[in-house]
Amino acid sequence: VGLLIAAAGRADVPVFPVVGAGGREAADELVLLPGVRVVDSPRAAILLVIVGRLTRALLHPTLVVHDQLPGPRATLWWPVAGPDHEGLLAALPDVVTADPGDAGLLREVFVDLLNGRRPSDPPSLPDIDANKWRGVGPYGHGGEGMMGGVPYGRPMAMQASDPDGLMLDQLPLHVGPLFPALPPGLVLHLGLQGDVIRGLAVGDNPYRSWPGDPPLGPLDSAPFVDALTSPTTVAALEIARARHHLVWLARTLRLHGLEARGRRVLALARSLTPADRPAVEGLARRIGRDRGLATATSGVGVIDQARLEALGVLAGGPVVRAAGAGIDTRTSDPAYADLGFVPIVHSPGDGRARLRQRVAEAAQALALAERAGDRERAPGWPVEGPRGALAPGQALPSAALAAMVPELVDGMEWGDAVTTIASLDLDLEEAAFAPAPVHAGVPAGTGGPDDGGSHGHRDQQATS
Amino acid sequence: MAPFGAALVVVLASGIAVLAARWLPLAVGASPTAPERVPFLGGGLPEVHAWSRFHIRYYAMALLFLAFDMEMVFMYPWAVVFVEEGVIALVEMLMFIAILLLGILYAWREGALSWAS
Repeated sequence: VGLLIAAAGRADVPVFPVVGAGGREAADELVLLPGVRVVDSPRAAILLVIVGRLTRALLHPTLVVHDQLPGPRATLWWPVAGPDHEGLLAALPDVVTADPGDAGLLREVFVDLLNGRRPSDPPSLPDIDANKWRGVGPYGHGGEGMMGGVPYGRPMAMQASDPDGLMLDQLPLHVGPLFPALPPGLVLHLGLQGDVIRGLAVGDNPYRSWPGDPPLGPLDSAPFVDALTSPTTVAALEIARARHHLVWLARTLRLHGLEARGRRVLALARSLTPADRPAVEGLARRIGRDRGLATATSGVGVIDQARLEALGVLAGGPVVRAAGAGIDTRTSDPAYADLGFVPIVHSPGDGRARLRQRVAEAAQALALAERAGDRERAPGWPVEGPRGALAPGQALPSAALAAMVPELVDGMEWGDAVTTIASLDLDLEEAAFAPAPVHAGVPAGTGGPDDGGSHGHRDQQATS
Repeated sequence: MAPFGAALVVVLASGIAVLAARWLPLAVGASPTAPERVPFLGGGLPEVHAWSRFHIRYYAMALLFLAFDMEMVFMYPWAVVFVEEGVIALVEMLMFIAILLLGILYAWREGALSWAS
């Protein structure tokens, strides 16, 4: 048995990440750590790694997921975005605080769990059934009567009409905020008939901050937000753009089951320089030719110009340009004047067009960075961010993109819905981020809401 | 008796293995708490039992498969008499396949083969 434990201790450590505020980039780090395997379900995990700061809205989902690890299990915390505000981690038993990126400690806790030196975490939620079912009904499993009773603690689903005119059961589901196939923090309340979504609402954003909360971030669009108020170089901005799109590509490849490719793209994104342009151009060609990705994304989640106009989202960004509209604030930015910048556009605005759009823009950004040399960019002009135009005092583009989700994916099959949501490049933390009010002396940096004034309007959608 | 003796040993051994596999987890493992038993929804909790009636969308494909499967069964006796009957048998089989193909084209046009409408 000792030999068996020693062999098991050398296996990859199965880890389920919980992405807290400011933790998205460090959660990607977890994918790249040697000897660590990021799994898609807590059922397959031994370690729960909380990356970033837990918010109040994330605490209960985290406890639910914690208890779904079958055990032996342990919880680690990577404090990448400041201390544990409000002491929320106290609700979890025996959290080990670790340096972000410390694979050694992950392995140590894993081996200790396996050979019994460390006891498994006890459950964090009380052992209470949703409904009393033991011994209820003729068979003692809770099922009784016309409506089916509460078999094993939960009632049966109600019927609703199906697109084919049948009356079939519709499962009301609440998915997220820790569902790995969705952007971290996204909560979907949906009805599911088989694999078809029937009615969908986006839940409250768990990163939404209240007065007194520590600031959100660091946002992945921080270099662009900072460029609104402070001078920077065109090259730095364009490399940040290329990196952003490649990180998105890596996550999308992982979502489509291409994990090794995703890891390679992520490693490329981390050490990106203008000299990597040929590699990124080759990547763009290969992505464009990939039959598997084409099948999974062609015709899925079509957002054409008419739809964008109807939704009032026409402020640039890859989603708009993938629908064929060449809207880009860089065309009127004096810093880009003689760089020969022409916006790339794709059509017809489906998932595949957005995929090719972003990879092509990453290659274009590196070419621009090469041509720009050390050219300075003065603040005062709107900045073309990686998701759309940024202007002082305005909500960041993720809020508008997240508002499109219910209308876009209602009626889709679940797999197409996941592909579509991934192709929007949502960041819920950016959607929750309050823009700094525009007045002199206050930098619109990466700080959170600094007073109550800017609260409220940017809560992108209500739970229906 | 000798061959049955070996079979008996295999049946007994497999029966004991199954019972042991059923009993061991109950004996050594702690029984899961209510929150540990719920399905994974990314932090959400299920409202209803997951036992539900849903649309088996592949039934049209399954019926078409059965139709062509039975056609293949019909082709075996046809192949036996094909040499004796000659061209007439060939024409008869082609008519039969053509009728089935018309059915498939009709179903296709009506959208019966699309997964979700």
